[in-house]
Amino acid sequence: MAEAVQPGITGGKVSETLRPAESIHQDTTAKWFLLSSISYFFVVGIVALTIAAKFVWPQLLGSVQYLTYGRLRPLHVNGMLFGWLLPADMGLAYYLVPRLCGVKLWNEKLGVATAILWNVIVLGAVVMLPMGMNKGWEYAELPLPLVALVVVAWVMFGINIFATIGQRKYEQMYVSLWYIMGCILWTAFVYVTGNVAVYFTTGTNQANLNWMYVHNAVGLIFTPIGLAIAYYFIPRASGAPLFSHKLSMVGFWSLAFVYVWTGAHHMLHGPISQWLQTIAITFSLMLLIPVWTVVYNFFATMKGQWHLLGANVPLKFTMSGVVFYLLTCFQGPMHSLRSVNAIVSKTDWIPGHAHMALLGCFSFFAIAGAHYVIPRMFHTELHSEALANWCFWLFMIGGLGFFVTLWLGGFWQGWQWNNPSIPFIDTVVALKPVWTVRFFSGILMFGGITTFLYNMMATVLGGPKTTTAKAAA
Amino acid sequence: MLGKTDKSAIGFVVAALIFFFIGGLLTTVVPPMVDKSWSKPFENNDPSKGPTGKLRPYTELELKGRAIYVKEGCWYCHTQQTRTIYADTIRYGWKGVPSPISTPDEFVYDSPHMFGTKRTGPDLSRVGGKYDTQWHHTHFRNPRDLVKGSVMPPFPWIADNPDDFTALVAYIQTLGRAKNWRPDNDYEK
Repeated sequence: MAEAVQPGITGGKVSETLRPAESIHQDTTAKWFLLSSISYFFVVGIVALTIAAKFVWPQLLGSVQYLTYGRLRPLHVNGMLFGWLLPADMGLAYYLVPRLCGVKLWNEKLGVATAILWNVIVLGAVVMLPMGMNKGWEYAELPLPLVALVVVAWVMFGINIFATIGQRKYEQMYVSLWYIMGCILWTAFVYVTGNVAVYFTTGTNQANLNWMYVHNAVGLIFTPIGLAIAYYFIPRASGAPLFSHKLSMVGFWSLAFVYVWTGAHHMLHGPISQWLQTIAITFSLMLLIPVWTVVYNFFATMKGQWHLLGANVPLKFTMSGVVFYLLTCFQGPMHSLRSVNAIVSKTDWIPGHAHMALLGCFSFFAIAGAHYVIPRMFHTELHSEALANWCFWLFMIGGLGFFVTLWLGGFWQGWQWNNPSIPFIDTVVALKPVWTVRFFSGILMFGGITTFLYNMMATVLGGPKTTTAKAAA
Repeated sequence: MLGKTDKSAIGFVVAALIFFFIGGLLTTVVPPMVDKSWSKPFENNDPSKGPTGKLRPYTELELKGRAIYVKEGCWYCHTQQTRTIYADTIRYGWKGVPSPISTPDEFVYDSPHMFGTKRTGPDLSRVGGKYDTQWHHTHFRNPRDLVKGSVMPPFPWIADNPDDFTALVAYIQTLGRAKNWRPDNDYEK
């Protein structure tokens, strides 16, 4: 089996010879993106807990219109997607692309400007969404001026990354680079479809564009950039080259082809043409191909190296993320089967599924990446391994509590809805214990976020700890 | 062909965009050209073909109410679609009459669309005419006064603002009314 080349890893061992080259990297952009996104993770975590509490105590903050559920939910979703996860992933891309290319980032000043602009966007959203400035489309709530800034920032990000890749030292591009390039290209079109093209349509036609965007925001934005990170760190952490270059190509190109077809599976049984639903279902099932090839490649790379898992927190986050990726991407195609969809669609099962994808998988990858790169960028050591371990277990237990109770609750809710003799309100009351468990799981996850923020900030503020020799390593 | 894309960035970009645009165009641009019901407003005068009626554009007052519905995020917890599922038609019917299944031609004047994805509260596709203005007023002030166990937030700033409240109720009363589905026109006002 042909081995994939990742610069810095040769002959089954992370090579040290290339490491001194790391001193060419300034990483100012990556630092700003990562540290600000981790701070927003904490702030938006408070919003998340608040809306979870509102399910348990519906009167909570009820007379303050800026803090009502309908205003805070878009802040939670957009805050997590565009305040935490995407800029964290972008920060990691700014770190790993120059290293995979063996050159400096094309333009560090442009990168810092992008980071500043991104902070303006997030702060704008924090003010505008609670004021009720909501365009009314899921994942595309941000008001138009902010949308324009996102597009500008994305172009700045794209130019910097592509220009860096354009001057790379190694001819062959490692898998992570394909995924980052794919993410940059597809996001441009997906984002504009969901935020701008929708204005030229109405009704079902518009909903179809909206779902194409929502679905591909996960599938063609967070998936490729998340997998880029996993493809970079798994071989690095296990000290072994990627199992198969060919498999990674199959995974990438099948993702590129299949994902975009599936948006209409969000409207199964809904007011949209049956044949389009059937197309979406067919392609949803095909999604198993890119998922299983990627996951098999990761597991095969870890073969014989699993003993490293215990002592390596970033690896624990990454491999748990891979397992959640496998699960969430098994659920997705199954939800798109009409018979399963008739039970789980519109229920609390769905937030359980969505959180496993964006928190359990992609946020775990980003957290792993932050634990790995922040000490290296600041030429220091992680403030506390013990806290990092706590962070992992708080996220893991809180996350599992969240996912599993919502699945059970949502499935039960779906069965109840399909018996029209049960009054709707009884199905609401029945879910109250589930929402209570969800709130307490949320407290655990928030504990994970707090630990993460503290550990990262203490690492940065602790200053350089390593000797010169170690810093080069 | 794809085997070389890991060495040529330009070849990669071209291939990635082609792959994306095949599915992208076929599932977004083409479907509304094939299925005209997506853009043709509902109209039926023949009772043998199902409920009669005609979809009309929203009035200014209704549009104002709709903007409040969008702004307050009502659509995060309420869907507006009676799906092709038997239980949906019964559950979202009223006084023994099942709700007609929602069709694309009922939503031609909707932007942003409000189909929704989550039913923390009940579906509202046929709520127009089910409850009168007084009921809505009490319900927006505190949903639990009328529905014990409800988790809907109170909306005192809407209930206590006559302009906003009137507009929102005017919008709610339009929901599902393009199809004249109630016998004897027994809609509440």
